[in-house]
Amino acid sequence: MLLNVIEDEEKWLAEGIASVQQNALFMHRALDANNLRDALKYSAQMLSELRTSKLSPHKYYELYMRAFDEMRKLEMFFKDESRHGVSVVDLYELVHHAGNILPRLYLLCTVGSVYMKTKEAPPKDVLKDLVEMCKGVQHPVRGLFLRSYLVQVSRDKLPDIGADYERDRDESSVMDAIEFVLQNFVEMNKLWVRLHHQLRTSIGLSGLQGPGQDRDKREKERSELRDLVGKNLHILGQLDGVDLEMYRENVLPRVLEQVVNCKDELAQYYLMDCIIQVFPDEYHLQSLETLLAACPHLQPSVDVKTVLSQLMDRLSNYASTCPDVIPEFLQVEAFAKLSSAISKVIEAQVDMPIVGAITLYVSLLTFTLRVHPDRLDYVDQILGACVKKLAGKPRLEDKRATKQIVLLLSAPLEKYNDIVTALTLSNYPRVMDHLDNETIKVMAMVIIQTIMKNSTCISTADKVEVLFELIKGLIKDLDVTTADELDKEDFEEEQNSVARLINMLYNDDPEEMLQIIYTVRKHVMNGGPTRLPFTVPPLVFSALTLIRRLQAQDGDVVGEEVPTTPKAIFQLLNQVTLLTHDLADAGIHDLSLNGLSCSITRAGIKAANDCELEPVAYEFFTQAYVLYEEEIADSKAQVTAIHLIIGTLQRMQVFGVENRDTLTHKATGYSAKLLKKPDQCRAVYACSHLFWVDDQDGVKDGERVLLCLKRALRIANAAQQMANAARGSSGPVTLFVEILNKYLYFFEKGNPQITSNMIQDLVELITEEMQSDSVTTDPASDAFFASTLRYIRFQKQKGGSMGEKFEPISV
Amino acid sequence: MPSRRRTLLKVIILGDSGVGKTSLMNQYVNKKFSNQYKATIGADFLTKEVQFEDRLFTLQIWDTAGQERFQSLGVAFYRGADCCVLVYDVNSMKSFDNLNNWREEFLIQASPSDPENFPFVVLGNKIDVDGGNSRVVSEKKARAWCASKGNIPYFETSAKEGINVEEAFQVIAKDALKSGEEEEIYLPDTIDVGSSSQPRSSGCEC
Repeated sequence: MLLNVIEDEEKWLAEGIASVQQNALFMHRALDANNLRDALKYSAQMLSELRTSKLSPHKYYELYMRAFDEMRKLEMFFKDESRHGVSVVDLYELVHHAGNILPRLYLLCTVGSVYMKTKEAPPKDVLKDLVEMCKGVQHPVRGLFLRSYLVQVSRDKLPDIGADYERDRDESSVMDAIEFVLQNFVEMNKLWVRLHHQLRTSIGLSGLQGPGQDRDKREKERSELRDLVGKNLHILGQLDGVDLEMYRENVLPRVLEQVVNCKDELAQYYLMDCIIQVFPDEYHLQSLETLLAACPHLQPSVDVKTVLSQLMDRLSNYASTCPDVIPEFLQVEAFAKLSSAISKVIEAQVDMPIVGAITLYVSLLTFTLRVHPDRLDYVDQILGACVKKLAGKPRLEDKRATKQIVLLLSAPLEKYNDIVTALTLSNYPRVMDHLDNETIKVMAMVIIQTIMKNSTCISTADKVEVLFELIKGLIKDLDVTTADELDKEDFEEEQNSVARLINMLYNDDPEEMLQIIYTVRKHVMNGGPTRLPFTVPPLVFSALTLIRRLQAQDGDVVGEEVPTTPKAIFQLLNQVTLLTHDLADAGIHDLSLNGLSCSITRAGIKAANDCELEPVAYEFFTQAYVLYEEEIADSKAQVTAIHLIIGTLQRMQVFGVENRDTLTHKATGYSAKLLKKPDQCRAVYACSHLFWVDDQDGVKDGERVLLCLKRALRIANAAQQMANAARGSSGPVTLFVEILNKYLYFFEKGNPQITSNMIQDLVELITEEMQSDSVTTDPASDAFFASTLRYIRFQKQKGGSMGEKFEPISV
Repeated sequence: MPSRRRTLLKVIILGDSGVGKTSLMNQYVNKKFSNQYKATIGADFLTKEVQFEDRLFTLQIWDTAGQERFQSLGVAFYRGADCCVLVYDVNSMKSFDNLNNWREEFLIQASPSDPENFPFVVLGNKIDVDGGNSRVVSEKKARAWCASKGNIPYFETSAKEGINVEEAFQVIAKDALKSGEEEEIYLPDTIDVGSSSQPRSSGCEC
């Protein structure tokens, strides 16, 4: 059915166009022949086509434009009195004889414009006459097009400042022009609004199609006519006579009066938009009060927020392109006026959804940031208003609303490039409280990214506290349910961001830095086992960095009152370790957590060693042992851990004899208890280094070195036998060669317990083993042995004391 | 016997919002300029008499809304244009990039009889802004585009300072005249005087 309507319309339009063209042709001939009578006749017939009611506005406009173009030729003919010999005054009378009112009025308007141009009559009288006569057409569509024709053809003949047609250049004639356009505007708007009511009645009567569908279509068509009405405002905007004074005192109040009184949603929204767009920025700024006062009086369904947003957009563009007008903004108190207008609108429109209100605040904020970037109090005020609006409401679920809040909260960050500024806004966190968990996280990421982008350094514990409160969505679980829905990659990205953020916190003052570290610890420790592996390392590292910093400036620190001591930090580290440890204990056997606490411990031990804090280092070591015993169950992990322990312990100079003994004793004990023989063997010979530190004051306990090496040999033997028993063939001799190398090392270092005989025996033992049939040959260990022998020969040939030492060994 | 040749030339100015279409027209027709931005609603025109090779023409210059929402009735006024002026702001890359859209839209909607040879003129406006320092579209780039579209005449203008405006409209008028003269004159298949006097309108008798 709709399709038929469209097809019919095409047909009617085609017919209309054909008729216009045909009559135009006859009119052209009449014009060529200077035949005024025929020209009038055919032009009237052509214009009669515009009497149709069958076309939609779009199609009607097409037909209208055809006739319009033809009328220009007629107008030129009218202008040239020599061609038709009739004075324009008589012509004006003559066209009154056209039969139908619509063609008559089109012709009158055309002659009228020529009349005004000839200056034979005051334009004022002609304009008044025409604008009154057009009242004769009350059909909305036809009337709107006729009046738009009138205003277009008279447009460049209006008495205006500087225009030719202004007779005495006094204000009254300019007033006449303005009066004319305003009157035409009012009449057109009435026609346009009436169309709405007519539609309602006609639909009520006919009800052929689904009324809703039909009404939508009609309302859409009505909307298409809007520019005809708006054109009047455009022309007012183009008149020089409409200066600021005239606009503020006369034009704007008159236009707004019509807008408010018409009580039509479509018209109100569109015309407000037009006013904002067709008049210059400066006018808006100087008449803000009047314009804004109209807003609360608009129909409740009017989208005032878009209107106001557009106004604020214009004004902020104005301020950013011409910075020298900013004092004017202050002078007219633009912010206060806009802010109060927004509250009034929100108050007046009770049903406005929350997203609407927030959108309004976003535009006001954008305006403020662009026009008054220095006024943080304004920004906080806007956020405060937003909090007030959100107060007492459940957390936002509306996606569009939360999106607007994210915009609202991101805007100051982008503007100031500096989170520190936002942290001073008291209402900032309060707005965030109204977000749902998902959005809190989004916002937290925005905040962190801003900090990263600008390399902002957050330098006080107070700010860190506020900051972590803001990003709490990433720091801890806000509720249980969402925990499993998390995407792993997203989660990791978030936590890595938090980790990077922790690295950005810094203060030169160790005391403040320690407070920052305390604050961070307080927050991240609530993170639960999934977050700690990401957040603890940066915390530990910033703590360790602080320790080293303190150590470096050791000389400057005087007295014992200095509160920030490495000790305090170690205490903190210890707690961190314990907590991670406890978490790991709590049934969550997460390898990464265990590894984590181990590495913290190791790092702590080293730092304590450097600071010469024996008890602290001892404490850490004990912890490491506890961890080793209780947490590390995997045999491979044990091997790695024990070597780390041995390595760390070997480099510790801080321990006294007693402590050292206890610790090394434990370490060798662990080594001998590893699961696999070769692992045992390697760990045990590594332990030999615990008794021989190649330093000036290092431990040099040759006897116990030898004990270790002998024990390693026994284990290697046992391993060989086990292999024999299991597979009928011994394993490679690698372990023996490795032990031989240890012997050689200590021999060279001058350990008196290691003699050339021992080495000789070992070499022979290995050679024997290699020749035995039961041994599987392994090229790698063969090569290893060969190069070890080569080394011995090399040392022998070297001469000097080393050569002498090696002399007895024969290979 | 008056000349049968055309004396009315229709010119359409197109381009993005804020590039200075209205200002160019006002500068050319009224020798006036205002720095204030005022949106145009729908289509508006001014006329100017121009003399060319001892003949007088009326140039009808249509200024259009750059903002789509102020073009609610469509672009039926493109029809019958003799020349189309495409304007961009040399300080806005987007307005330059959009020239192609404006040109194509015009050719589709106006459906000139010979789209290949329909006369366009391109104006790069606002060359005065910030002494040319904020310029982002180079003359070379603009000229290259014009060349690629069939050697469209190109002018760099300033509506504010009146630079090149007169010169550009001279060329616009000349091109419009050339295209206008080639236009065919409508001839109906049959001429039936009787039928045209019967109104088919179903509207009221007003």
